[in-house]
Amino acid sequence: MAEILVVDDSSLVRDEVAAFLTRSGLDVVTAVDGKDGLSKIQGDSNIKLVISDVNMPNMDGLTMVEKIRGELGKKQINIIMLTTESNPSMKERGKAAGINGWIVKPFKGEAVLESIKKLAV
Amino acid sequence: MNKNLNKFDNKDFAATLVSKVLVLDESVEHQDAIKQFCEDNNLIALKVRKNRLMSVLQTNIDLGAILYSENYGGSTKENVEIALKIHAFRPELPIIIRRENEATLDGLSEIISPAFCAAYSASDMGTLRQLIDEYIFSLVYPNALLRGILEVTETVLASQFRELTISWDTPFIVRDRVIFGEVFSLIPLVSNWCRGYMMLQTEEEPILDVLGLFNRPYVDSNFRAVNSLLGEITNLIWGSFKNRYIGDVAASFGSQVQVPLVVNHKHKYISFGTENPQLCFLYTLVDEKSGQTVKLYQRFIFNLSWSPEDFKEIIHDVEAFVDSGELELF
Repeated sequence: MAEILVVDDSSLVRDEVAAFLTRSGLDVVTAVDGKDGLSKIQGDSNIKLVISDVNMPNMDGLTMVEKIRGELGKKQINIIMLTTESNPSMKERGKAAGINGWIVKPFKGEAVLESIKKLAV
Repeated sequence: MNKNLNKFDNKDFAATLVSKVLVLDESVEHQDAIKQFCEDNNLIALKVRKNRLMSVLQTNIDLGAILYSENYGGSTKENVEIALKIHAFRPELPIIIRRENEATLDGLSEIISPAFCAAYSASDMGTLRQLIDEYIFSLVYPNALLRGILEVTETVLASQFRELTISWDTPFIVRDRVIFGEVFSLIPLVSNWCRGYMMLQTEEEPILDVLGLFNRPYVDSNFRAVNSLLGEITNLIWGSFKNRYIGDVAASFGSQVQVPLVVNHKHKYISFGTENPQLCFLYTLVDEKSGQTVKLYQRFIFNLSWSPEDFKEIIHDVEAFVDSGELELF
């Protein structure tokens, strides 16, 4: 069963991050936007970490996080935002929503592995 | 590999804007004067033989204006025909006519007069200077913005094309509306000092060729890979631009004015509903081993509002700054 959910509307980023994590021996599922991400979490209780973009169609990443923590009540899932945003107010909203970390794109595999290690996923 | 980033370390770096103008003037007496004028006024003069004019117009799609002479062509009839043909083919390009005796359009026939936006005479090049400012360099772009765009974009391209050498042309002003290549992206830019779009244009095949050189097994070798790559490049540039020059202002900026954008696929033409000139950057990415090249046009169209006096770079808290790609844990 999957352990890490990668959420990004860009297939390039989704595939690149998923390929990197898979090569590192991890199980990965992907979602194309926040709405799809919520659906994947509802259907898979083994997801321990979510790596998500912020700016996505249908449902943005921070709204998805708010719903994961709120409506779904999933407090134990670790969430890292992987995004172009470095705006302090965005980060504050993320912190208030209950995210665990923030990485500004472009993606560096080492930073993601570091997050997995530090969060003991 | 990036050869140009060290240029931005020089605090004296000044991005001079230029514009390409097609010069259709066969006068031997005025040749030197026009050449000198172009050099003095940041214009890149393109000259062409008459029999190659239309093919050159088809391939040079990033022009600022056309400098025409009332004596161009073998006869008055040919002069009129050529002007009308150019104007019909590229109505968005200002055609400025050099007249022998007066710097006005007065006296020109009703047939040809609509083809021209203005006139100048060789005895008063100051008038031409004013016309160039009015029709090409009508918008002021802060030097810090030009420098910042180059810096941000080159950083993004280097992150996505690590194996390629990146270089760029001097930024230039364009009046053309023709789309380069087969694939382009658009993303809105909204702030208190500008409202408009950034557009990236490129060709599909060269990108597929360079993607084929890299070892990225998860990337499809079809047009969707190009779409996805261009989309992500656009996203990354927009994100950096927003972080650096827009910040939180967009969220509170209330204007809801919109205009339709019109794309004509048949003629590879895009309109933003304004005659405003566009700020253009051209990047060339080269694989040194194979020689394969990708060209990427980046255009900024501030069609909804433009207030350069309000432009400023956002100062971030240095202590809180985390490098891109690095993890910040909360």
